[in-house]
Order: sequence, then structure tokens, then C-alpha cells
Amino acid sequence: MSALLELDKVSKSFSRGGLFSSRRVDAVKEVSFTLDDGRPEIFTVIGESGSGKSTLARMILGINAASSGQVRLAGRDVASYERRAFMAQVQPIFQNPFEAFNPLKRLDRYLFMTAERFGGAADRAAAEELADGALRQVGLSLAEVSGRFPHELSGGQLQRVAVARALVARPRLIVADEPVSMVDASLRMSIVNLFGRLRDELGLSIIYITHDLATAYYISDRLIIMQKGMVVEAGPARAVLSAPSHPYSRQLRDAVLTPDSAGAFRARHPLKAAATPGATP
Amino acid sequence: MSAAPGRAPVLQVRDLQAHFRTRYFGVDREVRAVDGVGFDVRRNEIYGLAGESSSGKTTLVKTIAGLLKPPLEMVGGSARFSFLPEWDAVGRAPPEVVRRIRWRHLSYIMQGSMNVLNPLRRIRHSFRDFAWRHIGGGKREFDARAAAHLERVRLDPSVLSAYPHELSGGMRQRVTIALATICKPDFIIADEPTTALDVVVQKDVLGMIRSIQREMESSILFITHDMGVHAALTDRLGIMYAGRLVEDGETPEIFGRPLHPYTRHLIASLPRIGDVEQREGLEGTPPNLAMPPPGCRFHPRCPLAMPLCATTVPAMVETLPGHRVACHAVNPGAAA
Repeated sequence: MSALLELDKVSKSFSRGGLFSSRRVDAVKEVSFTLDDGRPEIFTVIGESGSGKSTLARMILGINAASSGQVRLAGRDVASYERRAFMAQVQPIFQNPFEAFNPLKRLDRYLFMTAERFGGAADRAAAEELADGALRQVGLSLAEVSGRFPHELSGGQLQRVAVARALVARPRLIVADEPVSMVDASLRMSIVNLFGRLRDELGLSIIYITHDLATAYYISDRLIIMQKGMVVEAGPARAVLSAPSHPYSRQLRDAVLTPDSAGAFRARHPLKAAATPGATP
Repeated sequence: MSAAPGRAPVLQVRDLQAHFRTRYFGVDREVRAVDGVGFDVRRNEIYGLAGESSSGKTTLVKTIAGLLKPPLEMVGGSARFSFLPEWDAVGRAPPEVVRRIRWRHLSYIMQGSMNVLNPLRRIRHSFRDFAWRHIGGGKREFDARAAAHLERVRLDPSVLSAYPHELSGGMRQRVTIALATICKPDFIIADEPTTALDVVVQKDVLGMIRSIQREMESSILFITHDMGVHAALTDRLGIMYAGRLVEDGETPEIFGRPLHPYTRHLIASLPRIGDVEQREGLEGTPPNLAMPPPGCRFHPRCPLAMPLCATTVPAMVETLPGHRVACHAVNPGAAA
């Protein structure tokens, strides 16, 4: 089985400061993993802010070059691709859909432009067909989106348009950087479930970058946990999150607050006065 | 409302209405961001407010705190604090009265600590700016007290000499907690204080807020959209949807026996580690508050919607002891 995406000891360092006091900051240190072709999966990158996960995404997308190591798509160095040919295979989805779209531009323009540049649409009719097909994949239609501006849609709808825009190019890989953290709670799961459907029905591989361990457990196949630019733990998502072995992974897992952690702080600090009235069912 | 004996409310909110009124090019627009909200916050408790973005949480606390700026206006109702009994809302009291109670009785912990701390002044000066006039005493005496108070949030007294940019996000948020609590206020408003923090740091900061609150026996109105935080921290919880309170009660009761269909969805949709059950998002989107749907604002998305829901606003009814819900399906025959 050949590899769709290979990261081979990829590192990225930035130098900060001026001529006399420059400091090197290693944002990503020797990260390696492989996504197989023909076995679509949701590959999750977990880490807190500053752990290097967005820098990693930018290197996979070819926006930043790696300082050392190589990112290969289908066996070829990402840097050696012609940009359009690369973007037709790898598409991004960003955190905040309100920042990803220009507020003064109609949404259908993005879809048509992507269709013409990366999706191989020869004319407007073909572009419209591609756009409509992609919007239907995400539960919208061209009729609903056509002529609308970003502010006319809710955050959840806009993020679905962002997913549709990525799909128009008919990519093999989607890199989604914190795609649900700006989406309303009641709509979040519809985006996460959409990723699952894209994997199962369209055979797309998705790199899902997040700090939310619960959705990572819910949707992903494999994951890596990053701390300060390094991978501290990697493996099948559910196995790793059920029994994390690295101290940092354990710390992360233990810090997750869910409805089941009810009273985590109440128990430690009970009321000094009369007990809280109202019984727990 | 089942008031437990000996725990008088510090804050009583009744039928509070706050609207954004704008007039552009002769077109009047009114966004009813808070529409008829009522609840109590008792002494020595953390009352949580949950809801999605644009459900009116922040507008509600701004109105309660009297931080009203046009186009936001308090249109009706009251929000009465026990330490300001002669006025039915902070926003209606004269400025000299508000200055007297602010920080001494009522303080805030905000989301962005960088917006609270002056980036050009050392932490020591921020403490003096906020709290010196309320505490009084000499400069040395006050600084010693600030240093002692910083130790409660496990910060070294040397932090007083630091500039905000020299501290990490978690440390800065602890400084703002120390600032908000140094005067031992009766009431603290905490608006998404941990949302910008990493999970590990968040857990630490929440534990700190909890222990300081229990020590001072003050009341906290705690706002976040994160249901996990509410479950772990709050004593009682109110759920907001589109500018209205739809359910409130003891936090374990809300999580154990949610009654409103929206609350049920919010709790059921959260994935958990160790559980592979399929979770669904909710169809539709939260309404535009400039043109909210008539009747119950949740009815276009509600699985239990009936014809009545589209015409009549459901009243907040105490369905179970201490557990109020505004829903026609749960409380047949209760109209507002």
C-alpha cells in the first residue's frame, strides 16, 4: 500500500528577535507519521496552544516550508508540486469561518473559483454543478447559498460552506485546523459527524487538529498528542485516550470536564452552611 | 422559587428586558437580546448561566452590572442587589452610588485578562488602581496585603513587579481573579473567565475560583458555554436560549433530569471519552434576535413542538421543587 501523506522527521524553527539577540524557537521537532492511500481515516493532532499543531498544519498545506525533514504527498516532496496541482489534492478548513471568508464577497464566488481552479470545471455551468453537489454533501444547496454574504449565515452554516468549498476541489486530503471550536454547541456535532460521513462515503482522509479530547475520541481513528512541538504519544485514538501512558497525555485527559465530572470542585469544597437542598436523582 | 432557609438571595432578577436599539437611515431596529429573564442568586453559591453564542448571556450580565452603553438599553424589569436595596438596578442608581459599591461589593472577572490589565503598568499599579481606594491605608500596607492575597492564587509576590506581558495566560487570569477578590466583594460576575485558557490550566483556575468563593462566602454569577465547566463548578444552573431563560435548577438536577428539550439536547450531544454512542447536532440555527420567532423561541427546532408553541410564550414554571422550566410540552396549560 502506498502512502498518501508522509511526514519524515519534519521540524520547523523560527528565529525571533533582532540582529544581536536572535533566539531560535523550535515550533515543531521531528514529527513523523504516514497516512496510507486507500485507507481513509481521520487522523487527529491534539495539543494545547503553543504545542505546534497549527505550524504542523501549515507545513502539510505547503504554506510554510519545513526547516528540516520532508513532507511528501503521494511520494513527492510537497515543495516540488506546482501549487494548483497540489491544492487540487489537499484542501484546508480553518478555525473561524467568519475570518476565512471575506465579508464583502458573496459565498458562491468562493465555490465557483475553487471549482474552476482546482475542481477542473471548464465553464460556469460545470462549476455550478460541482458547487451544488458539494453543498448537498454538507446538507445545504446552491439555491440556499447563492448570492448570500457571510454575515447572512450562522457560524455552523458558514463552517459547512467552508467544508463544501474544500470538497469542490475533490481533494484526497483535508486539513481542518480547529474546525469546530467557533461553532455553536448545538451545531458542533453535525460538523463532526459530517467529517465521519466524508471519510466513510467519499473516502477522504482528514487531518483533524483540535484541543478537544472528547470529539477526538468520538470521531478519529488514530491520533498524536503534541507538547512543545514534539509528539509525546501516538496510536489508535480510542486506545490512547482510554489509557494514556505519557504523563502529559494523562494530565490532559484528567483535565477534561464533562457532564459526568459533575461536582468535581463542589465535592472538594463542600458548603460550610446547610447542605445544598435538592436531591440528586 | 424554593429559597433554602438562611440563604437569602443577593441578587433578584425579575422580568429583565434589555434591547439594542439602533436607528440607521431612518430605519429603527430593535434586537431583544434579553427578554423577560428572572432568577435569584443566593449567598455563598455559584450560579451558572449556559447558552450558545448570541443567546444573550453577556448582555444579561452587562445589564445586571449596570454597564449599559447605547445602543444597549434596559427596557424593563429589575435586577436588585441586597447591598443596594434602594435601587432596583445598578444601572438606575446615580454614578456616585455606583462608584461606592463597585469593586467593594460587586466585582468582575473578565475573559481577556489582557483587556483588564494595563500593558504599560506593573501589576502592583493595577492593584492600586482597582482596590486601594476601597481598602485604604498606607501604600506599603496595601502592597503587603496585595502580596498576601496573590499567595491565595498561588502566585509569588514578585509578580507585583512584573508587567502583564511577562506572565503566562494562566498567571494573568489568576492575577485578575486576585484583583476581583481582594476587596472580598459580596458578588462577583465571571464572564467566560477560563475560555481562553488551555484545559490543564483551566482546571487549576476553576479550582482556585471555587476555593476562594467558599472561603469568602461570596456569590458568583458564572457564565460559560462549556457545559463540562458548569457540571464541575456551579451550584445552580440557568440555561438561556435566544435571550430567554428556559430552565434553571440545582446543577446535578439539571444534568440528571433535564426537562427542556433544548437542555436535553445540549447535554445529550456532548461526546464523552469512553463512550462511542452516536451524537447528533441539532437541526436549524439559533434565531435572529431582531426578528425572533413568535411564541416559544425554540419551537422551530424543537422535536416536541405543538401548534401552541408557535403562538404563546411558555411561562417559567416550577415543575419540580427548585427546578423551573419554560416549555408547553413539559408544563401543559402554562402560558406567560
